[in-house]
Amino acid sequence: MTRLANNRWRFAVVIVVGAALAAALIGASQVGAEQTQTGELAPAVDPPFAGIEQRGVVLGSSVAPVTLVEYADLQCPYCAQWSRETLPVLVAEYVEAGKLRIVFHGLAFIGADSDKALRTAIAAGHDDHLWDVVHGLYARQGAENSGWVTDELVREIASGVRGLDGEKLLSARWESSVEPELKRGVAAAGRAGVHSTPAFQIGRTGGRLELVEISSLGPDGIRPAIEAVLAG
Amino acid sequence: MSEHTVRLASAVIAAVGAAVTAYLLYVRQAGGALVCSTGGCETVQSSAYAEVLGVPVAALGLVGFLGLFLAALARGEWARLSQATLALAALLFSAYLLYIQLVVIGATCEWCLASDALTATIVALALLRLRLGEARPRVT
Repeated sequence: MTRLANNRWRFAVVIVVGAALAAALIGASQVGAEQTQTGELAPAVDPPFAGIEQRGVVLGSSVAPVTLVEYADLQCPYCAQWSRETLPVLVAEYVEAGKLRIVFHGLAFIGADSDKALRTAIAAGHDDHLWDVVHGLYARQGAENSGWVTDELVREIASGVRGLDGEKLLSARWESSVEPELKRGVAAAGRAGVHSTPAFQIGRTGGRLELVEISSLGPDGIRPAIEAVLAG
Repeated sequence: MSEHTVRLASAVIAAVGAAVTAYLLYVRQAGGALVCSTGGCETVQSSAYAEVLGVPVAALGLVGFLGLFLAALARGEWARLSQATLALAALLFSAYLLYIQLVVIGATCEWCLASDALTATIVALALLRLRLGEARPRVT
């Protein structure tokens, strides 16, 4: 009887403590994922592109000496974090000064919402507003593949961008004119050897681009690479 | 099967698990590409669920497997209880992550599935060890 009770006690301890440990990990995972996806890790910023030249997938002057290519999935939380924390700093320090142009190559590997969001951004690029829409999508990024890229969301983002028509955008994203840029992004990522997002290439404009290993998602993670190309 | 054999088997499986998670962590930190036949590894690794409050899940897995390895090597009642508790917690967390992969992300990572299978095996062995090491009735 004592032996049976003792063994039951041991198994009970294992189950209770094991379940408590797992529950703590699961809770932390849920909290972390929600923070990442709702942008609570860093506050969203106002669109930083007012007065900055946008042409198709390019942000900044076409004659800027340095080109930075960003590979991103619009559902990728780390891409959104980079967009919130680092892009505004790069725009203020380099793009506005005419030193840097940034090219957006979208990928859609996370799921259906990635594809819908990317098509929307590319369609906006036909009106030279891709970066405004990318910023708007990142700022409102929802849980992965939850159906967050709704028509209402697209209309809301478009309504905040002068010169962009929400209804036109909703239909344009499914037109064949979007396909070439979708394919260009995938092909460029393949050539560059990009396997995850966000990923970056940098080089002199018109010259050879090299993949950049960023040390962090903050501005200091990529600033040395920009400075090195500017100095070279 | 003796407790010694169970401990040895557990240690070997935990070492394999540690190697799998160390590989995942290395590729994540180095920014390289995972060897992946399911095609979902990068999707899973880029997901918001690939970290727990800033700590990569692969790092948690590595720490967990190393803990299971040490618990398998150690003798005594505390080692049995620690191994079984840690293994059960790891299995429950793995089940949660498997649900996230299948339902939320919609992609699976074969390295994660391998880690899940290793964890499930260690749980079975840890419970067997607990059973084999049951307290004997005292003779007075």
